[in-house]
Amino acid sequence: MTIRPRWRKVIHDLFDNKARTLLVVFSIAVGVFSIGVIAGAFVIIANDMSESYAANVPANIELRMVDFDDATLESVQNYHGIEEAEGRRVFSIRARVQGSTKWTVLELAAFDDFEDNQVNLLMPIEGKAIPGKREVVLERDALNRVHADVGDVLEFQLPDGSIKTMPVVGVVQDTAMGAGDFLASPYAYIDQNTLQFLQESPTYNRVYATVSENGDDIEYVRALGAELKTDLEKGGAYVIRSRFAETHLHPLATTVNAILGILLALGILIVFLSSSLIANTLSALLQQHTRHIGVIKLIGGRSRQVLAMYLVLIMSFGILALAIAVPLGGQGAYGLAVFVASELNFNVLGYRIIPLALIIQILVGLLVPLIAGLAPVIGGARVTVVEAISGEAARDEMSRQGSGKKRGVSRWEWIQTRFTILLAKRGIHIPRPFVISLRNTFRRRSRLLLTLFTLTMGGAIFIAVFNVRVTLHDYIGAISHYFVADVSLDFEVPYRLHEMEQAVMQVPGVVRVEGWQFVSGELLDPEGNALENLNIFAPPAESELIVPILVKGRWIQPDDVRKFAISEAAYKYYPNLAPGDFVKVNVLGKEETWEVVGIFKFVDREGMLAYAPYEYISQTTNLANQAYMFRIVTDRHTRSYQDMKAEELDAFLRERGYKLHNAEAGSASLDIAVESLDILVTFLLIMAALTAIVGSMGLTGTMGMNVLERTREIGITRAIGADDRAVMRTVIAEGVVIGMISFGLAIILSIPFTYMLSTIVSMAVFETPIEVHFTWMGYAIWLGLVLALSAVASIVPARNAATMTIREVLAYE
Amino acid sequence: MREILSVAPIASVSPAEGAGVSYMIETHEIVKTYKNAAGEFEVLKGIDLTIERGQFVSIVGKSGSGKSTLLNMITGIDHPTAGQMIVGGVDIYHNMGESQRSRWRGKNLGIVFQFFQLLPMLTLLENVMLPMDYADMYDFDERPGRAKELLNLVGLEKEASKLPAAVSTGQQQAAAIARAMACDPPLLVADEPTGNLDSKSADKIIEVFEHLVERGKTIVMVTHDPSLTSRTHRNIIISDGELINETVSRSLPLLRHRHMLEITKKATRKTFQPGEVILKCGQGVKDLHLIVRGSVNVMKKNGNGGKVLARLNENDFFGEIELLRGGEAIACVRAGDGSPVETLVVNGEDFLRIVKESPITAEALGKIVEARLKQNLES
Repeated sequence: MTIRPRWRKVIHDLFDNKARTLLVVFSIAVGVFSIGVIAGAFVIIANDMSESYAANVPANIELRMVDFDDATLESVQNYHGIEEAEGRRVFSIRARVQGSTKWTVLELAAFDDFEDNQVNLLMPIEGKAIPGKREVVLERDALNRVHADVGDVLEFQLPDGSIKTMPVVGVVQDTAMGAGDFLASPYAYIDQNTLQFLQESPTYNRVYATVSENGDDIEYVRALGAELKTDLEKGGAYVIRSRFAETHLHPLATTVNAILGILLALGILIVFLSSSLIANTLSALLQQHTRHIGVIKLIGGRSRQVLAMYLVLIMSFGILALAIAVPLGGQGAYGLAVFVASELNFNVLGYRIIPLALIIQILVGLLVPLIAGLAPVIGGARVTVVEAISGEAARDEMSRQGSGKKRGVSRWEWIQTRFTILLAKRGIHIPRPFVISLRNTFRRRSRLLLTLFTLTMGGAIFIAVFNVRVTLHDYIGAISHYFVADVSLDFEVPYRLHEMEQAVMQVPGVVRVEGWQFVSGELLDPEGNALENLNIFAPPAESELIVPILVKGRWIQPDDVRKFAISEAAYKYYPNLAPGDFVKVNVLGKEETWEVVGIFKFVDREGMLAYAPYEYISQTTNLANQAYMFRIVTDRHTRSYQDMKAEELDAFLRERGYKLHNAEAGSASLDIAVESLDILVTFLLIMAALTAIVGSMGLTGTMGMNVLERTREIGITRAIGADDRAVMRTVIAEGVVIGMISFGLAIILSIPFTYMLSTIVSMAVFETPIEVHFTWMGYAIWLGLVLALSAVASIVPARNAATMTIREVLAYE
Repeated sequence: MREILSVAPIASVSPAEGAGVSYMIETHEIVKTYKNAAGEFEVLKGIDLTIERGQFVSIVGKSGSGKSTLLNMITGIDHPTAGQMIVGGVDIYHNMGESQRSRWRGKNLGIVFQFFQLLPMLTLLENVMLPMDYADMYDFDERPGRAKELLNLVGLEKEASKLPAAVSTGQQQAAAIARAMACDPPLLVADEPTGNLDSKSADKIIEVFEHLVERGKTIVMVTHDPSLTSRTHRNIIISDGELINETVSRSLPLLRHRHMLEITKKATRKTFQPGEVILKCGQGVKDLHLIVRGSVNVMKKNGNGGKVLARLNENDFFGEIELLRGGEAIACVRAGDGSPVETLVVNGEDFLRIVKESPITAEALGKIVEARLKQNLES
């Protein structure tokens, strides 16, 4: 079969100039790849997170109760609407790898029968999934926190101070227990027969139950749980806290949704950026082909035929780009999904082709170049023979005698030259090579605009990410004022304030001590149904160890009775809550009505929090002048010093027979929360890097095309004495000028971007909007980066320009 | 007006060592071969050329003859495949990279292009200042003043702040000349400088060139325009990558270039001592003599007593009457007194064939023969 000459030309154009073909294909492939990664990851994460979460049969109802036996568990199992129910004993215990000095608090969960595990399934990762007697299996997350490995022996410190050892026999993944609670201690699992060895009662203290129907209807689950709780309490059991969850809703779904939302926005943005890249490249290609078009028309080719030829050429570029970007995009999507999954402790269901992503990729790969290239192709197809074969070079300089028309000087050119002349009149002479760079920058204004758009978006996002990071950290900094104490001591039994003060002040470095109370309760709806657990901390009202971020109302006062300041999380149930309002709460098993005196900001993900004065709570708990919790202030406040003092206090108090549960640095739990934020920040930085890469690619493409179009001019400069360095300097300066303009625009655009991203992230992480902060760091890094990027992006074209022989560019004969 | 161009009269230039003459350009066996899919193509076939300082030289040749390639070799724009190119005493292709050559070019020669090649984004003034920036010549603050004076020199003082697109093509070329002279180079190379201009503008450009030559600048110009070649000191013809002997081109200017080249290749050089007889009356004539150097006397009779009918000088020829009409020599030709005579001897058969293939040469020769015969008869 013979191919018609015009299609032969298309094939020739495709492979003739390999560098140009690569540039076009690469421009398209970037967009296709990015959208493939994003769409694929979006689908995988959205689907697999809930699927893998549901696959582990998460408990819909979790009840923390005073010790109970099999009979109580059986009544739960037989309760109407309950599908499965398991009883476990969960308790905190300090553990460390044998030989290590650092203790870590673990939540140890004792299973009655691992074989018959029906709720909150454990997924084996390594070693044994079922521990034998006096063996322990660690949750994946615990592995890093304890710094242990399968085969290591762990030391457990019992309440009486004695040490027991057990080997780590396996690692499992538990996507349900502790999911969504950044501050939760890591979990470990033992057999119930090991309880006695650890001096624990062989009873249960938790119920994990699934509902037989409507597992994704939180209202139904909540109502059933409340009913179950009431009935259990009627039967003499005592429920301390309850927690309800939907079967398919991962507790971190809101965070992930925020990530997915950002991903989606990024995907759309990259398609825009990539299409501007494509439009630029194609219009340059068409410009280079103007002569060809002229010749085709000269020998009888019609505009329609030219149009068809170039549309097929563009489609071919698209197909080549798809061939590269589709497989890579699929792998990228899977990689990104695995990264997010590992950070958020869920599993992906394996590599697969995502049809939606594939369709979007094909559409982007074929349609976007067609749309982006349509205007230049139509323009090219309409070019007249005279215009085409006279070429731009001739048009520039032969304007008068060639076409009989004077090209003239555009307004913009006039302004530029006037400006330089004005400066010159004031004695400011700009070196001509730099004048060339400056004026070249503005010669292809539509190309410049598209490049600036790409680079500015990249820069604005990059800067915004740093601002968001600072905003988050500043907020965490503000939150740290809730944790001013250097060491927190939690005891098994209450101690008198005076006694504890006398004891701990003997430890060098201790400056002050405060006793705090804590009561666990529930926030109720007006009908008295439980809405959510409520942790009420009770520091002395005048305590300086807490500096709340008050949104409304006032802080607690010593004479407050049944009054508290509550965290913003309460807005979830009472959107119009205001100081002076009364809400129903369940405190110490009693339903009471409390007055809200203030509303403060906190990390709402950490559950609902309230503060009431010690002065009142200590009376209700009959523990006047006593406390379970003590907050210690030391003479220095670094994290390492706090750790050291916590260790010292731990040893000191245990030696003297105090039943200490745990001693840890005041900011320990805060640091864990900050660590979790780093996942998001890392993710945002990846996003910033991606946009920066696309931006710099856009600039490289633009500079490449500019150089390609100006080879003649570069030849002239060489002919009149410009050496390699001078040529490169001119090209690089142009790139840097574009970079600097984009930097200026990015500064402006970063402001709304910062607000937008901060709101999305803070709502996802803290479930509350937070005050936005700006940092010079993002601006400085981007300035450095954009200068480096624009220089690097120009170096290759500049080198090409410098190595061209003048004969090539001036084409004498 | 302050003197902005250095003045270097030919006489003041010290002669090149051993040569006795100071050459601005010396080429030795310059060969340039291009390769393409069709094979190798030799564009320049061993060019040997010298151009003295202060000369105004035109290079002519048909399209594709290699004239611009030769110009590219002189300017350092293109590499020769073999041979040596010495410009201003510098071997520009030996131990000199492309980048160094650009820098050297900026300081030592100015180029004027057919399409002017002004940078469109710079004003005329800025275009003229640009080479000074690249060559880093003259104080930074001095450059605008110098550029203005150069523009004045070419009559563009009022257009200095305009962009190239805003002035006429003639003005653009004038600005391009001003740019070429920006760093006051001793050599100016122009490729078809008037090829794109109307005759009035072209005339002005050549006037500027003549003015520059008066000031000692050397100018090498490629042109198609015969009216311009008459205004240059030398006219070098290139054909099929080879130079045509200038005596041949001057003696027989109406011949086709390929015939000139054939003569260049086939002719042999002969030297005659003063007074030596070159052609005897009544003797059979087999060759045409083109006088390269010296002069000859044409006399009615053999021997010393004969009357001198005519004195032929450089670029004249003799022997054509006999070759064209047949028969024996109708006059005697003897080397003039004073200095030896050098002639190019062209085989008579070749000459007759070439004349037959070139009717206008035949016609012109016919008129010359007629005139000389008439002169002979009258005497």
